[in-house]
Amino acid sequence: MRSFQTQDSFSLSSVKPLDGLLPYRDHCLEATRRALQGRKRVRTACPVCGERLAPAGNVGELPYVRCPQDGSLFLAELPDREAWSRLLAEVRQFRNSSASFHAQITQSRADHVYGPKLEWIQDTLRLQELAHPTLLEVGSSSDDFSRLLRESGLFLQIQSIGESEIGQGTEQAQVAVLLESLDRTDDPAGLLKRVSDRLAPGGLLFVTALLSSGFDFSVLGTRNLYLYPPDRANCFSRDGLSKLLEQSGFILQEVSTPGVLDLQVVRAHAQRDAALPLSVFEKTLVSSDLETQRAFQEFLQQRGLSSFARLVAKKGDGTA
Amino acid sequence: MNCLIFGYGYMGRIRYQVLRAHPEVKKIWISDPSLDPASRAELGETVLPIDTPVPWEQVDAVFVCTPNNVTADLCVEGLRQCGRVFCEKPPGRNWEDFSRIAEAAAEVPDHTLVFGFNHRLHPSVQAAKALMGQGGLGEILFIKGTYGKSGGLSYQKSWRNNPEVSGGGILLDQGIHMLDLLCLFLGGLSVADAVLADSFWECGVEDNAFVLLRSETGIPAFLHSSATLWKHTFRLEIGCRNGYLVASGLLSKTGSYGREQLVIGKRQFEDEAMALGNPREEIIHFDRDDSWEKEVGEFIAAAKEGRPAQHGTLDEARRVMQIIRDVYALKDHSIRRA
Repeated sequence: MRSFQTQDSFSLSSVKPLDGLLPYRDHCLEATRRALQGRKRVRTACPVCGERLAPAGNVGELPYVRCPQDGSLFLAELPDREAWSRLLAEVRQFRNSSASFHAQITQSRADHVYGPKLEWIQDTLRLQELAHPTLLEVGSSSDDFSRLLRESGLFLQIQSIGESEIGQGTEQAQVAVLLESLDRTDDPAGLLKRVSDRLAPGGLLFVTALLSSGFDFSVLGTRNLYLYPPDRANCFSRDGLSKLLEQSGFILQEVSTPGVLDLQVVRAHAQRDAALPLSVFEKTLVSSDLETQRAFQEFLQQRGLSSFARLVAKKGDGTA
Repeated sequence: MNCLIFGYGYMGRIRYQVLRAHPEVKKIWISDPSLDPASRAELGETVLPIDTPVPWEQVDAVFVCTPNNVTADLCVEGLRQCGRVFCEKPPGRNWEDFSRIAEAAAEVPDHTLVFGFNHRLHPSVQAAKALMGQGGLGEILFIKGTYGKSGGLSYQKSWRNNPEVSGGGILLDQGIHMLDLLCLFLGGLSVADAVLADSFWECGVEDNAFVLLRSETGIPAFLHSSATLWKHTFRLEIGCRNGYLVASGLLSKTGSYGREQLVIGKRQFEDEAMALGNPREEIIHFDRDDSWEKEVGEFIAAAKEGRPAQHGTLDEARRVMQIIRDVYALKDHSIRRA
C-alpha cells in the first residue's frame, strides 16, 4: 500500500473561507432540520463495527454520535430515504448556484481543489497501468469537477449518477469516483455495495473524505464549523473509513491524508472565537511561524493525521 | 515443484522463506557445506548431508545463492541437470564467468534462467517506470543513481571483498543493482568514464566507484556506488522533459536505507503557479515490498510454463556485466589507494 504527501500550499480563504462557509452552512443546517420534521431514523450502531454509538455533542442543535471504537462521527438522526435524497439534491443545487460562496472562488477551487484531484486520478491510473477506462462518477458535489473530468480526456466514457440512483443501472465501469459521497450518504455500506456491483472485477475506486481522526477535527470536535449535515452526516476516522472499504470487499491501494489546511482551520476558529478552549500546545502551534506550521502540516500528512483523506481501493474478486 | 538452494547465507535464507510460502513448491533442499551445526539441526532433512550427491532426478529448479567464485560452476551444472536456474547477482565474478553461464544456457533448449535483480521490482522503481513516458513526465533527460552502505566491522573479512572470491568490489556487489536500474530505464549503456577508489577499507577492491555512462541515444547517466556511505543511501534521480522523479529509501529488513518513497515533481516555469525552480511535489510513501515474492513467482511461473522469464533475463544480466567488464578494463582504472 502507498500514501501520498503533497507540497501544495494555499490558504483556507482561497478554497473554503470560514466567513463564506457560514451562510452556506446555515442553509444546510436549516434544510436538514426541515427534512427531519417528517419521519426519522435514529442511528444507534456504528455502520463500520456495529458498536453502540455514544453522544458526541450537537451541531446547530442537531445531535451527533461517535463510535467509541474508532472515533468516527455520525449525524444521530436521519430523515427517511426519500427525504434524504431530496435534501442532498436541494443542497447540491444551492452549492452550485451563485448564492453559495463556492461561486466567488471558482477559479481558486479549480486550481487548488479540483486540479490536484484530477492529477491524483491521472497519476493513479498510470500507476495501475489503466489507460482510458470507463468511469462512474457517483454523487458529484461539483459541476466544475464533473466538467474537468469530462474535459480531461482520461476516460473512454463517463457516467455521472446520484448516490440514490446508482442501484438502478447495471452497466459496469472500470473506475468509480466517490468524492466526499461517503460523508453525506445515509447508508455508507449500502452505497459501497452498490458501487461495487457497478465496478468490473479489479476495478478501481477513488474516495475522498474528511476525517474525524485528522488534526482539526481532533482539536475542535463538534465545534468544528466544517462539520455540518448533510455534507458531513458522516465523518469517519481514518481507521473507520479503511475498515469500511475492506469490509465491502475492496483491497486498499492507497490511504493518504494530503491535507494542507488543518492548522489553518484551527487558527481560523481561534480567531473567530477568542474563548475557544485550546491547550497551551495548540495555542502555541497555531500562532507559530510559517516554517513551524508547514513542518507540522507535513508531519500530519506523512503520518496519516491530516483531516483530508484520499483513498484508492481495488475491487477484490470476492467482493460482495 | 522441487527446489534446491545452493548456499544458505543471507540470500539463501530469503529465498528459502519465499519458496516455503509459494504454493507451487512441494519440496526444498538446501546444500551448503559451510552451514553451522545449529542451523543444520534446525533445518533437519531439508539440508543435504555433506558429501551426499544431489538428487538431480528429483530436482526441478535450482537457486544459486553462493559466493561468486562458485556461481558459474553451479549455474552451468544446474542448467545441464534440470534446465531451471535462479542465480543471485552478480552472475559470476567477471565476464568470463558470465560467458560460461550464457554458453551453457545456449546449449539447453527451453531453459529458464533468471538472475536476482529484485530492485527493479521495488514499488518506488515500478511507480517511477509507470509515471514517465508519453502522457506522463515525458522522455528521460538524465539519471543519477547513488547506492551505498557503510561497510561495517566485518566488511574486510567478508568474501564479498576478497577479490579472489568475489571478483570485484562494491560496484560488482551492490552497484550492479543500480546499473540494472539504469538499464531498465535507458536500455543498453556504454561506459564514458569511471573512477574507482579503495579509499578506506583497503581490501584490494574498490570501495567507491564513480561511473559515467551514456545510453544508445546519448542520454547521460551517472552512478556512485560506495561502501563508505556512513548513512546507508539509495537514491535514484530521474530528470524528464516534463518533470522529475526521485526514488529514495528502500523497504528492507533493517530499514537502514530509510522509508521507501518516490518524489514526483512536475516542471513549472515562472508563468505557472509556483516560483521558478520550486515546483509543487508529491511524495509517495510505500509500506510493502513484495519484490522477492514477485521475482521468485515469475521464475516459477516461467519454469512451469516453459517460457523465458519477463525480468532478470540473460540479456539484462549481459548488459550490466558488460558495463562492469568495461569499467574494470578502463586503461586508467587502477584503483586509487587510501
